[in-house]
Amino acid sequence: MASGSERERPLDVRRAREWLGWHGLGEATPTPLLARRLAVRRRARLAHHVMLAVLILAAALVQLHNLVSVTPDGSGRGWPWPLVALTGLVAALLAGRALLESWVRRVDRQAGAALTRRAAHPVQVSWRELLGRPYAACAAGIHAAAFVLAAGALAIDDTRVRYAAVVLLIALAGVGVAAALELRDLLARPVVAEDEVSLTADVIMRIEDAHEAVSPGMAWSLPVVLLCGTAPAWWSLTSVGLVPLGVAAVVLVQLRTPGSAAAARRLVGAR
Amino acid sequence: MTAAMIVIDAGSPVPPFEQLRAQLARQIQDRTLAVGARLPTIRRLAADLGLAVNTVGRAYRELEEAGLIETRGRAGSFVTAAGEEARERARVAAAGYAAAVAALGLDPDEALRIVEAALRSALPAGSRPENRS
Repeated sequence: MASGSERERPLDVRRAREWLGWHGLGEATPTPLLARRLAVRRRARLAHHVMLAVLILAAALVQLHNLVSVTPDGSGRGWPWPLVALTGLVAALLAGRALLESWVRRVDRQAGAALTRRAAHPVQVSWRELLGRPYAACAAGIHAAAFVLAAGALAIDDTRVRYAAVVLLIALAGVGVAAALELRDLLARPVVAEDEVSLTADVIMRIEDAHEAVSPGMAWSLPVVLLCGTAPAWWSLTSVGLVPLGVAAVVLVQLRTPGSAAAARRLVGAR
Repeated sequence: MTAAMIVIDAGSPVPPFEQLRAQLARQIQDRTLAVGARLPTIRRLAADLGLAVNTVGRAYRELEEAGLIETRGRAGSFVTAAGEEARERARVAAAGYAAAVAALGLDPDEALRIVEAALRSALPAGSRPENRS
């Protein structure tokens, strides 16, 4: 890869070298361009995790408000405002995600403009190729199970549980919409590469970003965080059961499918 | 395994559209790109390669005129079977020529020289056998 004109921290370059080695591309030189792209992704990912933590905290606060101000028969309830605020926060977090994406894209665009040679795939990479069908099915299944749990809680004859179910649905919808938007943006993100190695690195980054975007961690943890203990025993047990089931499914898929580096080599090599 | 990729060199004397056209044509003809493979949209490939949309559009148009790809409305551009059909016809013609050479008792080297001369007069300058490494 050609060098970029931007300042790169030695730590970023060292991390880029480790990243290349980790993905079996140890023979490639960790260029400033790659170091910068990886560093931006790392920071964007950190910001993404912070936003998810904010969402959990906000949902938990709304739920706390529900517990202290609403009785099971619905008296003393202050229904709409906390929910409106939570919905507004979800919208703000989605806007924040869009800003992060535009930052990553801008850095990619600058990196691409510095290249004298540009390489790309002659065939369009689809979301199935990025995620892999097993991982996509696993993530979709866990998200669907969480939605079904939330919908099930809505049917329970307890105002506090129904309120918490609405909070859960808003949070899950936010996570789902964010994942879908992230995946769409990933597919639209231009390739930044100049040879086979950098093209493979680009695909690896894309695959890892896609897996991160649809990671089902939030889907299996939100029901437990927000409703476990408040909801009836059968619901609480099911929501707790979703956690080990989800983890087992993800581990199984990870073990039985090729890693991001192998998948990227197949995509770049076998067209 | 040969990587299927397009490389555009801004420092090359060959115009970008011709670099793109030639690489896509070669990958279609040598089957690196399978029949039915969907090519990226013009806009997408232009963004990936840092080219103008018109440049990629011109390369696609020429590939389409050569019958190597076809555009199916909004579904996108796809590799056609034309490359394989053309190769099969060439193979059949070559087999006929080889049979004629054997029947006439011509020396194989002389037969090859005849083919090369015929190719030199039939093909455009850029794609003649002597220009290939």
